[in-house]
Amino acid sequence: MALLETHGLTKSFGGLVAVDDVDLEIERGESVAVIGPNGAGKSTFINLVTRMLDATAGDIEFKGESIASDDPHEVVQKGVSRSFQTASIFPELSVEENAQIAALAAEHGSFRFNFLRHRDNYGGVERLASRTLDAVDLLDQRGVTAEDLPYGDKRRLELGIALASDPDLLLMDEPTAGMSPEETADTVDLVERVKAEMGLTILLVEHDMEVVFDVADRIVVLHRGAVIAEGSPEAVQGDPDVQEAYLGGVEA
Amino acid sequence: MSDEPTETADATEEGGAVVERERTEREFPSWERVRESELFVIAITTVALAVFPWLFARAPVISGVLQGYQDLATLIVIWGIFAMGFNLLLGYTGLLSFGHAAFWGGAAYAAGVFSTHVSSSPLLIILAGTAFAALLAWALGFVALRRGGIYFAILTLAFGQMAYYMALSPLSGITGGENGYTGVELAPLLGSFFLQYPVPGLDWLVGTWTYVLVGVVAVVCVAAANRILHSPYGMVFRAIRENDQRAEFVGLNVWRYKLMAFVISGTLAGVAGSLFTIYSAYVPVQSLYWTTSGEVVIMAVLGGVGSLFGPILGAGIYLYVENVISGVQQLTLPFTGPGEYVTLVQEPVVLLEGFGAYWHLILGLVFVAVIVLFPRGIWGLFEDAAGAVRRLGSDH
Repeated sequence: MALLETHGLTKSFGGLVAVDDVDLEIERGESVAVIGPNGAGKSTFINLVTRMLDATAGDIEFKGESIASDDPHEVVQKGVSRSFQTASIFPELSVEENAQIAALAAEHGSFRFNFLRHRDNYGGVERLASRTLDAVDLLDQRGVTAEDLPYGDKRRLELGIALASDPDLLLMDEPTAGMSPEETADTVDLVERVKAEMGLTILLVEHDMEVVFDVADRIVVLHRGAVIAEGSPEAVQGDPDVQEAYLGGVEA
Repeated sequence: MSDEPTETADATEEGGAVVERERTEREFPSWERVRESELFVIAITTVALAVFPWLFARAPVISGVLQGYQDLATLIVIWGIFAMGFNLLLGYTGLLSFGHAAFWGGAAYAAGVFSTHVSSSPLLIILAGTAFAALLAWALGFVALRRGGIYFAILTLAFGQMAYYMALSPLSGITGGENGYTGVELAPLLGSFFLQYPVPGLDWLVGTWTYVLVGVVAVVCVAAANRILHSPYGMVFRAIRENDQRAEFVGLNVWRYKLMAFVISGTLAGVAGSLFTIYSAYVPVQSLYWTTSGEVVIMAVLGGVGSLFGPILGAGIYLYVENVISGVQQLTLPFTGPGEYVTLVQEPVVLLEGFGAYWHLILGLVFVAVIVLFPRGIWGLFEDAAGAVRRLGSDH
């Protein structure tokens, strides 16, 4: 049984079919990159899997169970985390508080009636938060207000937030967008490291081909919402359909 | 809550070094730590509330200049509870409700009707009014929170106005329609203290038993609100305010937490509304009108939405302008204050006759000035000033 399976997943916005009948299987421990030209439906696909958007048709199964009618927080609680294209953090809170919120959700589940119980009673949350910050090398900046971090650190913090719940599957929407080459290299190292440490399965949407070839074991090419090629990086690189659709004749 | 497992026990097992450090800190607690502690917050609130009516209504010189009076002190504390509760929603969760009159006024009516038909014990009246507001908040929040931003504000406004028109006409058999509810009955507090009587021996300080009741309830409310902000909820509320999408995607049920924020906030508004019924022994139908919702927004923003106490200060300033400044007959140079208490050698120059009639305008100018100059409100201004003084002190 694959960790994540989509069956005929389709999303249309009015007349535009953004994701068209996608069947995808991701095995535990794999790193899969979804690539494709702008508007190919890559982000929409991630948004469908994380239940940010309702699918028009099709089904999504995680660990053999349909999650197609879950709320986003339920999907997260089942073990699917995500990062966003822009660093999605809690800007006016400290780095430590950012991690604590994620740790709280991981330790306490989606909701509890504990509004009259002092936070000091929850040592587990603080320990998990510290561990999370340590994992993304932000422990020394824990007192800094999150919005004052440099961009690369914000992305790392976001990754930390996504990892606090110890997910089985991590979806990343362009994790190196807007980064300098050094920051990109650091991020790739970090992703490789946490993947090995936590036994993560990764689904990645990315434009930077170097990152894709560094991280992914398998590449899925989307074009106008449909899968046009799938396979190892080498196989996909040599595929004439991909060259036609994705590179569009431009020398790359 | 009692079914929660205590996690501190295993915390100590794992981190001996951490415990060691905390112990030394506990021997010499820093000022910051003391200020953060709950007992300190409760103690300061109690002292402030005990001294306030004396300072405002009876202290030499100060009260003379301020022209405060006992009833206004009581009213300020009641509205302070309302504004503080409202701000848990606006300032901490980032949701602007424009219908909190429904909870304030709804509780006031429920308290009034309860006092006539069930029990006139003040404590039970407060419980009844508060319970009504909590249920109402749950029901209205359940619907209004389906939408965010401006739609949420409009929905709450619509619900508030629906409550107003319900009380005005269809339910006028119960509510008394436009005359308001006049049948409020009040038994002595705990069976022995008449609310409007002065407190023996302490009447110079706190005045009446009504104020004692209001003050004690206010301390309980501040303690509860402070605890909520230091519980996991406080953190989740701020996370929702900052980025509700991310909060949902770390696995928090944002909708249910928003509903809890709405219910907690409505409950505190209900406590205040019930106290208002006890205070005035009457419920005007205006207590459900949208202007009541607007006033509490202004109070919270004026005082500062970033803190627990800012809105209480805002309530004080708003009601002071409404009730005292509005009575100033002449604007003079130099300013002689309300009631011309300060007598000067020189006869002051009268700048404007009938100054008090402009109190709405004055309040508007104060409001605009605060928003433009101190976006964190008057409490934020005080905090900044205190911070600046401390920095000056540490430089030397």
